[in-house]
Amino acid sequence: MPEAGLKNRLRRVALWAGLLLILLLISLSIYGAFIGAESAKGFFNSIPLAVYWLVFAILLILGIALFRQLLCLRGLFLIHLGCIIILAGGIIGSQAGFRIQDKLSGTDTIRTGQMIINEGTTERAVELEDGVIKMLPFAIKLVDFKIEYYQPGQLIISTLNGEEFKIPVQEGQKYVLGDDLGSVEIVRRFEYFKLKREGDKRIAIEDVNGGPNPALELLLKNSDGSEKTRYVFERSPGHSMPDDNLQFSYHRSVKDFLSDVEVVKDNKVVTRKSIEVNKPLHYGGYLFYQQGYDRDAGRYTMLGVTNNKGLGIVFLGYILLCAGVFWHFWLRHLFGDREMED
Amino acid sequence: MAIKYTIQGLLIYAAMAWYLLAFVVMLSRQRKMGHTLFLVGFVVGCTAIVYRWLHVGHIPLQNLFEVFLCLGVLAYPISIFCNRVLRVGGVAADMLIGVIVLFPAGFVFSAEPQQLPPALQTWLFGPHVFVYMLSYVLMTKAAVQASLQLAGRQTTENLLLPEEATYRMVCAGFPLLTLGLVLGSIWGQNAWGDWWGWDPKELWSLASWLVYVGYFHFRYMFGKRFPRINSLWAVVGLIAIIITLLWVNLSRLFSGLHNYAM
Ligand code: HEM
Repeated sequence: MPEAGLKNRLRRVALWAGLLLILLLISLSIYGAFIGAESAKGFFNSIPLAVYWLVFAILLILGIALFRQLLCLRGLFLIHLGCIIILAGGIIGSQAGFRIQDKLSGTDTIRTGQMIINEGTTERAVELEDGVIKMLPFAIKLVDFKIEYYQPGQLIISTLNGEEFKIPVQEGQKYVLGDDLGSVEIVRRFEYFKLKREGDKRIAIEDVNGGPNPALELLLKNSDGSEKTRYVFERSPGHSMPDDNLQFSYHRSVKDFLSDVEVVKDNKVVTRKSIEVNKPLHYGGYLFYQQGYDRDAGRYTMLGVTNNKGLGIVFLGYILLCAGVFWHFWLRHLFGDREMED
Repeated sequence: MAIKYTIQGLLIYAAMAWYLLAFVVMLSRQRKMGHTLFLVGFVVGCTAIVYRWLHVGHIPLQNLFEVFLCLGVLAYPISIFCNRVLRVGGVAADMLIGVIVLFPAGFVFSAEPQQLPPALQTWLFGPHVFVYMLSYVLMTKAAVQASLQLAGRQTTENLLLPEEATYRMVCAGFPLLTLGLVLGSIWGQNAWGDWWGWDPKELWSLASWLVYVGYFHFRYMFGKRFPRINSLWAVVGLIAIIITLLWVNLSRLFSGLHNYAM
């Protein structure tokens, strides 16, 4: 039958095309790994690649149409359908996808961008990747920004010959470094360190009105009994006074940083949330995730903004793909569904 | 390279020693004894993991030291699973794989405890890394069987032939590899607001996954007409996995290359 012959030839071509596209994508991914994330992003969003993704999706659909197994074997169907759906979600959510949808519907949507919000203020402006500013249809107020550190912090002391001591920071603790290096005592810990002049003396104080300036006051005792005071600032690690033979760093690891925000629409607070890394806020078709903060004073937060268009489709594809692979390779064997095993 | 003169280090060396002893005993054809020693190595390895867990206070899957430690310990349960359920041989080789995988944990990677940065504080952290590790051990075993086949060796045990053994293990590992990729992507969405960021590690993991997709299609197209090429895919898959796992370290080796290009 000529029709069957044609179909067989089509199948052969589709399989070869599929294999070649897979090999091509392997090569492109490896190429992308060498050029770095930023360039790779541009590369995989370029026009030739857009054509590639489209052809791949069409080939997958063709595959399901041509091969009975892909339609009848539940697992295989779910796997290939899952891939089609992920590709579709990816295309819808891509830069090109947004451009086309905006053109068709005459809208001007925000795809990805960044917001910087000062503590206590309300913000609607989103800065896009290309520097353009667009406004959200609602506003976000940063009620409070908090940084938590792992306790205790660490005092790191390096000697001239490369020896290193790591000391957990506890006020009043004294550590003996060695016979010739003497000892060090952590006298006091500051969050808002400031030097204040009192007469002809200068004394260290906590000044909450100034910016945060975490520091330690150390008392060094030499082996000959002489003493001196040193200040170590978190912001200037590896600091050393000219005549000292020791270098000091004060280090704390960030445990968490979070933005307590309110979403304000028509002058009403519509929702509240603590945005943390890994805990974004979903609102109005956008995701707001904790991206960064003011490292000097902790006064503002940086929120990443992404439109969630296409995201649900991608995740649906993930579910189908995972259900498919586990069914096809694991579960159908357990449930005695051995339809077409070789 | 450095020897770890700590309880942690000693536990790892002890696990390696038991694995190695088990391997030697297996070669002298005392299978039962070999299996028992392998089990002892596993128990010691588990102790090393529990010790680490208590020491750092979070799931010990944060850095390459911890990942290689767990990979080495997983060699035992995966070996037993493959032998009993999938009917795949090569238990002696698994003992050696265990030693080889524990080696970097024992001698190469730093065991300096680290605190979990905010990005790693999510329920996805454990499952994402764990399913990847399970699949990596399965794919390693698959590649070993594939190499045996490429070297023209047949199993003497009453089990699957190497080419089919490879296929079965890739079939067992592929769903886990897929799940690892998907969980990673969901994590990326939560942490960075993007389910796919095109960064090198993501792209290498995609490439490894696609190598196995290619393998399945090639094997479907040609069946056993080119058994050696079938097996070659599985070996290439493992190479891609190793590069994915070590890319951050490897890319440092390539930095000269980048400097030159700039
Ligand atoms: C990223 C894309 C793809 C993925 C993840 C994928 C995945 C898979 C998997 C896991 C299998 C099972 C192999 C086995 O049981 O040994 C399979 C089989 C198959 N795939 Fe794909 N595939 C993809 C693309 C394609 C394309 C583009 C075609 C179109 C021609 C295609 C056609 C087939 C066919 C005909 C089979 C064989 C079915 C059988 O075993 O009876 N696949 N695919």
